[in-house]
Amino acid sequence: MISKLPPGIKVEQKGDNDKIMTLNVGPQHPGSGHMRIIVKIDGDYIVSCDPDPGYVHRGEEKMAEYRNYITNIPHLERPVIHDSCNILYPYCLGVEEILGIEVPERAKYVRVIASELNRCVYTLYWLAIYGIFLGHSTMFMWPAGDRELLIDLLEKLSGARVTHAYFVPGGVRNDMPSNFEDVCLRQINYFEKRIKQYDSIFYSNPILKSRTINTGVLRQNDAIRLGSTGSVLRASGIDFDLRKKEPYDVYDNLDFQTNVLKSGDSYARSKIPWLDMLESCKIIRNALEKIPKSGSVRVKLKPNPKAGNVETYKRVESGRGSLGMYIISNGKPEPYRVKISVGSFRNLICLPYLLKGEKLGNMPAVYWSLNYWPVEADR
Amino acid sequence: MGTASGIIKALNSGIKHLAIKRFTLRYPEQKLKFVGDGYQFDPVSGVGIAGLKGRHMLFHDKCTGCQLCSIACEGIAEAIAMVKVDEKWKQNKKSIMPQIDYGKCVFCGLCVDACPFYALYMTNDYELSSFSKEGLIYTPAQLQVKPNIKQDAEIKISDRGATHG
Ligand code: SF4
Ligand code: SF4
Repeated sequence: MISKLPPGIKVEQKGDNDKIMTLNVGPQHPGSGHMRIIVKIDGDYIVSCDPDPGYVHRGEEKMAEYRNYITNIPHLERPVIHDSCNILYPYCLGVEEILGIEVPERAKYVRVIASELNRCVYTLYWLAIYGIFLGHSTMFMWPAGDRELLIDLLEKLSGARVTHAYFVPGGVRNDMPSNFEDVCLRQINYFEKRIKQYDSIFYSNPILKSRTINTGVLRQNDAIRLGSTGSVLRASGIDFDLRKKEPYDVYDNLDFQTNVLKSGDSYARSKIPWLDMLESCKIIRNALEKIPKSGSVRVKLKPNPKAGNVETYKRVESGRGSLGMYIISNGKPEPYRVKISVGSFRNLICLPYLLKGEKLGNMPAVYWSLNYWPVEADR
Repeated sequence: MGTASGIIKALNSGIKHLAIKRFTLRYPEQKLKFVGDGYQFDPVSGVGIAGLKGRHMLFHDKCTGCQLCSIACEGIAEAIAMVKVDEKWKQNKKSIMPQIDYGKCVFCGLCVDACPFYALYMTNDYELSSFSKEGLIYTPAQLQVKPNIKQDAEIKISDRGATHG
């Protein structure tokens, strides 16, 4: 036993708090992702919870200061490799603004298609993990299998199954391959049919409902107060989707709706991404109809483009909510600062409020419904 | 009542899957088919050509030893080193060509975008595993070889579901 403790550390005294037990969930991924959740439980009930992220912090923001605007691309998509198009989207929009580039119309549509495919790939992966967290292993297998349909499309489009490095400032790296439209339409139609079947096995399943309805309820004003975004915000009854509210690229030309549910519980939070996937299928079909049949997809840039003393903030709707990048340039080929604001981290802030008073067994149902991606939150 | 019928509905939709064909790709026996011959880039128009970003291919008769690919990779993975080659080419005065370490490469393809002389492309070859770290370093001579990859499986969609066939 250590006779002298470091300053500031006290041995807990025996007393009333005796029956409260501290439990470390994680960081070795027993259902927490690469992070730790410190929960204090009284019997089966959670009395307090302290999420402790940061185990996969890679210093993406600092790394961005040493690389030029093009070589930043491969490492900036690492935080969410399943959603790599969406995480590069605000970066590309921002760099295009500070360099004053106008993106060709066709490239904008290709970007929308790629980012919607990516959103579905991410959501399916997230949903698969949500299924296995709740002990529903069929719900792990189905999305993991159906994801292949979309990964196949993305591979045809960008040449890589994950980490596509497909968006660049000025458009996209390459045009769609020939007959991509037909293949995409066929696979998206089949995919839509497939994910509709998730309703009977998962979302209408009474066992899932009994575990998620009325657990971790986030009220509308709390959702605003805690600054949550994306599906969490929409599940609490607030219609906020950046694709509608601040349309970027060609989202204002496409018909789609945003999905809003009122109840704000884990069930609503898990259902919104699924409804969004169905909407994404519509967006892709619509974009394939409206895309200009020919034209360039990339503006030629100088190898080391320089911007003046400017700054910009751009945000897009990613699979996890609003994802913003604040880029400051000071006239050098490298950005002076790239600040990434991610939806995951902002949704995680809700966790201690939602878990208080819940049963420990409901923790995974609440935690993962926040649409949280640990690696992205740490950046 | 609602609970019982809900569970029956869920079981039913699972049972329907007994009649659906298997979607899994049986990997070493079957191999995926890709579009094109790998990612390529046209420096004149500044636009790439869609294809898989796999192992690189170097055309010795076109490479000028300009090192632009190696400079492009510097901020990414530092996978490219310029090495001396014994061959004599009139466009390559210094006789240096890129050597790629696949232990570091992230297959982003930005080196292909940087090459102005149509000398560096990517191919469909993705089976690069090796028993040693040195085995992952591909010399210019190894990069010259055109890969021969069997490609037979594609996603097929029928009334009985999607398959890899
Ligand atoms: S593909 Fe990317 S990481 Fe690999 S050698 Fe080329 S630039 Fe470097
Ligand atoms: S491969 Fe291309 S970029 Fe690299 S040294 Fe040869 S010519 Fe230059």
